[in-house]
Amino acid sequence: MNHLPQAWGRPRDDVYGAYDASYLQTSGPKQATQQPIVTGTSVIAMKFNEGVVIAADNLASYGALARFTDVKRLRVFLDSSVVGFSGDVSDMQYLDRHLNELAIDEAYDLETAATKDTSKPSGKLNAANLHKYLQKVLYKRRSDFDPLWNQILVAGFDAASKPFLASVDLRGTAFTSPSLATGFGAALAQPIMRNYAATEEDAARLTREEAVNVVKDCMKVLFYRDARSLDKYSIAVVTKDGVELKENEQLERQSWAFAERIKGYGTQTV
Amino acid sequence: MFRNNYDNDSVTFSPQGRIFQVEYAAEAVKQGSVVVGIVSDTHAVLVGLKRNAEELSSYQKKIFRIDEHVGIAIAGLTSDARVLSQFMKTQCLAHRLHFGRDMAVFDIVNRIGSKAQINTQHYGKRPYGVGLLVAGVDATGPHLFEFQPSGMTEEMTAFSIGARSQMARTYLEKNVEAFAKCSREELIRHALKALKESLVQDRELTVENTSVGITGVVTAEDGTRTVEPFKVYDGQEVAAWLEDGMDVDP
Amino acid sequence: MTSIGTGYDLANSIYSPDGRNFQVEYAVKAVENGGTSIGIRCKDGVVLAVEKVIASKLLKPNANKRIATVDRHLGIVYSGMIPDGRHLVDRARDEARNHRDTFKSPIPTRDLANRMGGYMQAYTLYQSVRPFGVTAILGGFDSDLEQPVDGEVGSGPSCGGGGKVEGQKHGGPWLAMIEPSGTYWGYYGAATGKGRQAAKAELEKLNLAAGEITIKEAVKEAARIIYIAHDDNKDKDFELEMSWISGSDGPTKGKHVEVPSDLLAEAEGLARKAIEKDLEGDDEEEKDKMEE
Repeated sequence: MNHLPQAWGRPRDDVYGAYDASYLQTSGPKQATQQPIVTGTSVIAMKFNEGVVIAADNLASYGALARFTDVKRLRVFLDSSVVGFSGDVSDMQYLDRHLNELAIDEAYDLETAATKDTSKPSGKLNAANLHKYLQKVLYKRRSDFDPLWNQILVAGFDAASKPFLASVDLRGTAFTSPSLATGFGAALAQPIMRNYAATEEDAARLTREEAVNVVKDCMKVLFYRDARSLDKYSIAVVTKDGVELKENEQLERQSWAFAERIKGYGTQTV
Repeated sequence: MFRNNYDNDSVTFSPQGRIFQVEYAAEAVKQGSVVVGIVSDTHAVLVGLKRNAEELSSYQKKIFRIDEHVGIAIAGLTSDARVLSQFMKTQCLAHRLHFGRDMAVFDIVNRIGSKAQINTQHYGKRPYGVGLLVAGVDATGPHLFEFQPSGMTEEMTAFSIGARSQMARTYLEKNVEAFAKCSREELIRHALKALKESLVQDRELTVENTSVGITGVVTAEDGTRTVEPFKVYDGQEVAAWLEDGMDVDP
Repeated sequence: MTSIGTGYDLANSIYSPDGRNFQVEYAVKAVENGGTSIGIRCKDGVVLAVEKVIASKLLKPNANKRIATVDRHLGIVYSGMIPDGRHLVDRARDEARNHRDTFKSPIPTRDLANRMGGYMQAYTLYQSVRPFGVTAILGGFDSDLEQPVDGEVGSGPSCGGGGKVEGQKHGGPWLAMIEPSGTYWGYYGAATGKGRQAAKAELEKLNLAAGEITIKEAVKEAARIIYIAHDDNKDKDFELEMSWISGSDGPTKGKHVEVPSDLLAEAEGLARKAIEKDLEGDDEEEKDKMEE
């Protein structure tokens, strides 16, 4: 038997025939990101009568490993919008730095006054502008076959000062809805949020308190059923007055009683 | 041939710290026919005097639309203006594509300013031989900017550039306090009167030689903003302003 | 030795027999015709101010800002050829952004001064370009706090980042002035432009090196100095523009921002009073002399 290091971990030639090394290309097309590595799970958000509430847990997973438990995935932009990232965390960091530079660009000429007159329109980049921009960035990267592996929710206001909420993913696909969720949340949280805000009209009738409670309930459901989630989370409320971001929230009043009734997998024998 | 040793190119300072080539380029602006711009709290208007090369030829355009919300009036080398206008158009379009909003007027103006400055600092380049008045509306309201071949850009409440423009500026200075509260029509009449001031004797403003460009934003009581897209008025479209506007006080 | 007529002053990067680059000296002349700019470094921040001569009644009042923000914590003001100054500001912003890209942190003020100095110096080296016709005053406040790296997620290791040593004081206010030659120096009080002589004389009286003045006081001093440096006889009216940067515990929260309008108005009011007093003082002196 061949014990040389180059044969380690390979099927034995005498058993399986000569090794087909053709897939191990030394030359060939550039291989860009083909999968996310360290990931964040769902981001969920919904509109209410005078703003948007958005939440994401504080976990960054390395595969199935709960690797980092204090990762803040909601980022504030210009005190007026919030961007929630799911998917690859390093790509999120890249985008965060990119948005930081964009925010500095915006501040060159518009935010020089310390006493800002809020009654006058400032013309600064709003959430709708920001979402459009992120869509272009992500679509450009997927067209270069080097995608930024994220699905992103943008919460804030549009040019008409109406609450704004929209999604964009690693392919540059963009859409909007009164409530939105990425990842597992799209299956688990979205139906719950739609119970309360199926249409824009419904969302416009919700109060801030109601919306926050719905989102908190959804975070709990996600923690119950999503194995890549955490009970520590961040939640932000965007209104005309600005952004209220809380980054160290704990899921309260958890009840795992339902788990008793789940049968058919895991270590259960009955 | 040259006035002195320091005016051959735009990379040589004179002992007084001047760059003659840039100053000469500014002279080219004064060769162009006159244009006037004014802003109020709601509108920005440009008017210009068009020239024809000879009796039977057409009149050279003076006012150009850049984007939905911005237009320019030019004085000087028209071909240089076309380069700048093309640049402004692509910048506005790219901004609209990337961000889904109108580009701020100061932003467009700064960009042509930076572009023009490069031409004043490198051998083998020449400064642009054109001055612009840039009028537009953005989220902060209507604006008027002056652009010079040096790359200097300044926001004005009203201004005029081109041949004999000093006469127009004198008119504007006399009335500058009134412009902010002017209506759309009053503003146009002020601009046309300023334009008329700088005409040589026996010349009149006619539907052939007068051009008007307007953009504005009207905010309703509930806060909704309606933008009047920049539009150039020529020929018979300006007849009404010329007929009933020129003799009455705006 | 005169520069004119020798031929050594006709192109950039040419040495005269006594080792001077006249084109750079002529660029300085362009600066000396510009409106006065000053910068004051205080114990808790930096104040920048500029005299904007109003060349025409048709200029929009309080528009046309001359003090530029380069990064959140950095500002530049300049005297001389304004389009050159704008170019320089664009470059400074690029440098600040590149620093963030590379180091994931804001550029320290002195590093930016160094980059800008290098850039301006490069424009003295070739016959194909001309030097910048501006002198720039750069003010910044490098954060004295433990700051997250740009794009940082989570809290990271608890030991200090960015090469900081525990217990040692880091960051703080900094002020530099960069000349057309690319030379730059750190300053406590810097002045350039038309009224620099008068401004420098006033700055020297403030004993800035002692580090006792606060930015709130410096705002008033800066306004007064610009008013003193303004030459009533030669120049038309002017506008005063001022900005300031404090640390994170100060009034601007570590950001470079315009001085608030009420404080600006107060400072201008005091400046006008101070000038009137000066004039009265002069009159009395003259009267005294007459009596003698």
